[in-house]
Amino acid sequence: MNAQTAIPEVKTREMSYAEAIRDAMAIALERDPTVILMGEDIGVYGGAFQVTGDLVERFGTDRVMDTPISELGGAGVAVGAALTGLKPIFEFQFSDFAALAMEQIVNQAAKMRYMLGGEAAVPLVFRMPAGSGTGAAAQHSQSFEAWFGHVPGLKVVQPSTPADAKGLLLAALEDPDPVIIFEHKLLYKMKAQVPEGYYTTPIGKAQIMRPGRDVTIVASAIMVHRALEAAEKLAKDGIDAEVIDLRSVRPIDRDTIIASVRKTGRLLCVYEGVRTLGVGAEISAMIAESEAFDYLDAPILRLGGAEAPIPYNPDLERAAVPQAPAIEAAARQLVRREV
Amino acid sequence: MPVEVIMPKVDMDMASGKLAVWHVEEGATVKKGAALFDIETDKAAMEVEAPASGRLHHILAAPGQVIAVGAPLAFIYAEGEAVGPAPSVASAAATATPEPAPAAADAVVTTPVAAIAAVEVANGTPRATPVARRLAREAAIALESVIGSGPRQRIQKDDVEREIARRAAIKPAAPAPAPVYAAEPAAPAVWSEESGDLHVTTRKGTGTPLLLIHGFAADSAGWMALERALPRDLPLIRIDLPGHGRSPRRRIAGFADLARLVVQAFDRAAEGPVHLLGHSLGGALALALADIRPRQIKTLTLLAPAGLGPEIDGAALNGIARASATESLAPWLKRLTARPDGISHDFAKAAMLARLDPDLRAVQSDMARVLFPDGVQGFDLTAALDRVTAPTALIWGRDDHILPWSQALKAPGEVALHLLRGVGHIPHIEDPEALASLIGRHLRP
Amino acid sequence: MTMKDKVETAQDNLPFAIRHFSPDALRAALKKMYLIRLFEEGAEDSYTRGLIHGTMHLSIGQEASAVATCMELTDADKITSTHRGHGHCIAKGAEVGRMFAEFFGKETGYCHGRGGSMHIADVKTGNLGANGIVGGGLPIAVGAALTAKRLGRDDVTICFFGDGANNEGAFHEALNMASVWKLPVIFVCENNKYGMSTSIERSTAVRYIADRAVAYSMPGETVDGNDFSAVAEAMHRAIARARAGEGPSLVENLTYRWRGHSKSDRNRYRTKDEIESWMARDPIARFRADLITHGILNDESATALQQAAEADVAQGIEFAKASPAPQITEVTKFVHAEVSA
Repeated sequence: MNAQTAIPEVKTREMSYAEAIRDAMAIALERDPTVILMGEDIGVYGGAFQVTGDLVERFGTDRVMDTPISELGGAGVAVGAALTGLKPIFEFQFSDFAALAMEQIVNQAAKMRYMLGGEAAVPLVFRMPAGSGTGAAAQHSQSFEAWFGHVPGLKVVQPSTPADAKGLLLAALEDPDPVIIFEHKLLYKMKAQVPEGYYTTPIGKAQIMRPGRDVTIVASAIMVHRALEAAEKLAKDGIDAEVIDLRSVRPIDRDTIIASVRKTGRLLCVYEGVRTLGVGAEISAMIAESEAFDYLDAPILRLGGAEAPIPYNPDLERAAVPQAPAIEAAARQLVRREV
Repeated sequence: MPVEVIMPKVDMDMASGKLAVWHVEEGATVKKGAALFDIETDKAAMEVEAPASGRLHHILAAPGQVIAVGAPLAFIYAEGEAVGPAPSVASAAATATPEPAPAAADAVVTTPVAAIAAVEVANGTPRATPVARRLAREAAIALESVIGSGPRQRIQKDDVEREIARRAAIKPAAPAPAPVYAAEPAAPAVWSEESGDLHVTTRKGTGTPLLLIHGFAADSAGWMALERALPRDLPLIRIDLPGHGRSPRRRIAGFADLARLVVQAFDRAAEGPVHLLGHSLGGALALALADIRPRQIKTLTLLAPAGLGPEIDGAALNGIARASATESLAPWLKRLTARPDGISHDFAKAAMLARLDPDLRAVQSDMARVLFPDGVQGFDLTAALDRVTAPTALIWGRDDHILPWSQALKAPGEVALHLLRGVGHIPHIEDPEALASLIGRHLRP
Repeated sequence: MTMKDKVETAQDNLPFAIRHFSPDALRAALKKMYLIRLFEEGAEDSYTRGLIHGTMHLSIGQEASAVATCMELTDADKITSTHRGHGHCIAKGAEVGRMFAEFFGKETGYCHGRGGSMHIADVKTGNLGANGIVGGGLPIAVGAALTAKRLGRDDVTICFFGDGANNEGAFHEALNMASVWKLPVIFVCENNKYGMSTSIERSTAVRYIADRAVAYSMPGETVDGNDFSAVAEAMHRAIARARAGEGPSLVENLTYRWRGHSKSDRNRYRTKDEIESWMARDPIARFRADLITHGILNDESATALQQAAEADVAQGIEFAKASPAPQITEVTKFVHAEVSA
C-alpha cells in the first residue's frame, strides 16, 4: 500500500508503522532539546511494542525515561513538565491503561489552558497503542477514541498508515495543546513508503483513500484497510465506493465528509470502538445536520464494535469488531437499497 | 380488587428494605398520595405514599421487619369493597421479573431499518429519502405521484428523476414551432385542449382585496416576492390565465376571448369591489376588466401593461414560451430585467422547472401567435384607458426591454405615472419593496 | 564565654524567622497574611451579596502556612495549589484586584473569568494553579520539578496539598517518582484535620502525614503550621536540599480552617470548643505579637499594615466590580491555542 500523505517529490523509504513512529520521535529528539519520551519500559526494553526501540541508546535515559508503573502519576508528571517548558511524549503501554490516568488527561491536561484563561499551555503527546486482534482480551484491546474525542481541549488522531503515523506525531509535537495518538497495534508491522526527514500531516484533515461515486465509507485506523479491501470487492460488482480515512476524531474534518456524502448520497461509518455513542454516531449526526442531508438517498449505517468487552476466543474476537466482509455487505445493502 | 402495597425499590442496588413505621392503622382510611409508611435502607430513610385511596387491611409486615423489594406489605380496599381473606401472598410475591433474554449479538451488520417488517400502515405521507424530497420539491412534483422503488416503497432519488423524465417525455419530440412572427403561419403545436374555469387562489385578510393578473408565460407564483412586501393582512385574489399555472389549457381565439375568460373568473371570485393590478398582458386584461366592470373596481394599477402600442419584444416572448431547457430559457429571461445579471442561474432553473411540461409550452406558444402576431401587439386598449373612472396608476421600469415605457405617455392626465429607475419589465420581481410601497400609497384613498 | 559568644547565643535564641529574614521582609509577610485574611473575608462578604457564584473554600486560620512556605521563593519557583488556594496565590505574589475580578467572573480576572476560585492561578508569579481535584496538583508539581532538572534550572516547585490528598493514589505515585528521580520539589501538606467532614484519625493510618515520607526515602517533618517561624524554618531546610539537587522533602503544617469546607458546610463534624480553641491560636495575631516583641514593629505600625491591606482589598473589590464580563460569544476561547490566521 502506498503512503497517501501528499509530499511531492521527496525521498521515501520503506518503513513499518512502528519504525515510522520511532523515526518521528528520533527526529523530534534531535530537533528540539525540550522533547522527552516518558513511559513504562520504553528504555532498554524498547517499549511494549518495540516502538521506542533503541532510542534510549541514542538519546540517553534523561530523554528516554522509564517511569514506574504509575499511569496516573506519570501522566501527571508529563502534564507538569509540559506546563513548564518540556514537550513530553508519554507512551501508555496499552491505551486501556489510560483509564488509570483519566484524571490527569481529562481534568488537568485538557482543561488547563481554559481554566487558566489562556495563560498556560500543555503541549504534550499521549501515545496509546489501541485496538483488538492480538488475543489480549478485554483489558488490553479497547478503542477509546470516542472517550477522549468527547473532551474539549484534547485533539485525537488515529493514523492508519506509516506515513501518517510519522506525520501526525510530528504535527502533534508542533501543536501547542495536548494531542492523543491512537496507534493500532495490528498496524505496527505494516510497511509502506514513508517520506524521509521532517514533515507534518495536518491534524483535523481526513483523506480520501479511494474516490468513488456510489457510497461513502468513513473509516478510521485499521478499518481504513478493511474498507479498502471491501471497496475492491464492491468494484467488481460495479459498486464504486469512496473510502475516507478519518485520521482525526477531534477535530473532525466536516468538509471532506460532507462533500463526499453530497456526491454519493450514502454513508457508512466504520470504526472499532463500541458502536453505541461512538465516532460513527457523531459523523451520522453531523451529516444529518448538514447541507448534505438533502442529498442522502439511504439511511446512514454504522458498523462498530460489539456491545461487549473484547473477548479472548479468536473467532469471538473477530466477530466483535467490523471485518471486511461485513463492510462489503453493508455497503452493498446501502447501494442496492436493501435498508 | 384491593390495591397491593409493596416494598418499593428506592435505590439502585436495593434488594430489600426495612419497614420502619406504619403511619396508618389496620382498617383506617388512607388517601392516595398520603404518607403510608416509612422504610429504611442502608443509605436513607424515606416515606412511602399510599398508592390508592381506601381502607388499609391485611398488614403483613411489622415495623423492624426486612422485606424483599416488591413483596406485599398490605392491601388497600376501596371504600365499600368487601374485605375478604388476604389475597394469596405467593402470587403477589412473585415479583421478580425475569431478565429479558439477551439480544443476539449483532454488532457488526446492523440493519435496524430493514428489520422492521413492512407492515407499517401508511399515514398518508409518502416515505422518501431526503434527496428525493429535495428533487421533487424543486421540480414541483407531488411525492404522492411518484412510485418508490426502495424498501417499503421508499421513494429514492432515481424514482423522482424517472418521474421528471417521464413528464418531460410525454410529448417527446414536440415539433419546434417556427417563430410566431414568421410570415407563414406555423403548424399549431399538438396539445389537447382542456375545459373548465380559470384557476383562482386567494389569501384571506381584511378590507378590499387586491386582484392580481399575471403576464404572459408567468403564473400566480410569480407574485410571491411582491406578496411578501405587501401588508400581511391585505386580502389577495390571483387569477391564473388559461394555459398558465394551474388553469386549464384552453385555446383562445384572440384578446377578447381571453378577456372574457378573465371577466368570468372575476365574476366568480370577487364578492365585491376590488383593487385591481395587472402586469404586462395581465395589465391589458386588467384594463379590459376595469372597462367592462367599472363599478367593481376601486383602483387600477397597471404594471408595464400591454395594449398601449404595437411595439413588443416578440422574439423574447416567443423564446420564453418555447424554451425547453434552462440554457435556452436563460438568455430570454435576461431581457426581462434592467441588467442581464438580474436573473440568476438558479432563477432560470426554477423558471424552467415550472415549464418542464411540453404541453404548457405549446399552449403558450400558440397563445403568443394569436396575441402577438408577427411580433406586434395585436390589440389596442388606449381607448379603454381614456374611459377608466377608477383612480389609475401606471408603473413602468425605465429599462423595460419588452414593452417601452414611452407607451405610457398615451395615458390621460389623471392617471398617475411612475417610472422606476434601474428596473426592467418585471418590477414586482426586481424591486418588490419599492413597488409595494407605491401600491400601498395608491390603494389608500 | 566571650562577649561575642554571648551575642551569638542571644541570636540563636531568637525565632528562626527573626534571625533569618530582614525586617522589611517580615513586615511584608505580615501584610500578606492580613491581605489573605481580608481578601477571604471580602470574598465571603461578596459571596453573601451575590457578587460571586459557585462555591469557595476559605483558608482563614491557615495564613501562616501559605506565607511562610513561600517566603524564600522567587517568581521562577513554581507552586501547585489546591482548592483552598487563595492564600497560596497571594503569598506567591498575585494581586487581589485580579483575583477578585476572577471570583466575580470578569474578563480582567487571572483566568479571564473561566476558572473562578477553584482554578485561580497566576502563571507569571509561578503559581501553576489551584486545582479542583484532590491530589490533582501532586504529579503536576513533580513534572514541573522534572522540567527544572532537565533544563538545568535551579528553581524549585512547592506542591501544596491537604490532608485529604494524602490518601489519593496520586500522592503516592508522585512522591515515589520525585524521590526516584531526586527532583527539586517540596510537598507541603496543610493538615487542617479534616477532608471535608472526615477527620484525619478516621481516614489516615499514620499519626502524622509526614510519617509517610519514610516510605519514599525522603525527609519528613511535622511543624506547627500556625507558627510562621516554624514553617519558614522547615521550608528553609527543604528548599536548600532541593536546590542542592538532593531531592524532595515532605513538610506537614498542622493547622486549622476556621470556616467550613465550602460554603455549603453545616459544620456538623466538629465542636464549637474545637473551633474556638484553634481561633485562639490565630497565626496572624501570633506573628504580629512576635514581630512586636522583637522590635520589628510596634502596635501602631502593625495596625498601619493591616489598614493598608484593608485598602488593597477595598480597591480590589471596586476594580472587580467595574471590570467587564467576558463576551458570551467567546465561550470557546482558550480551549485551544489561538490559531493565527
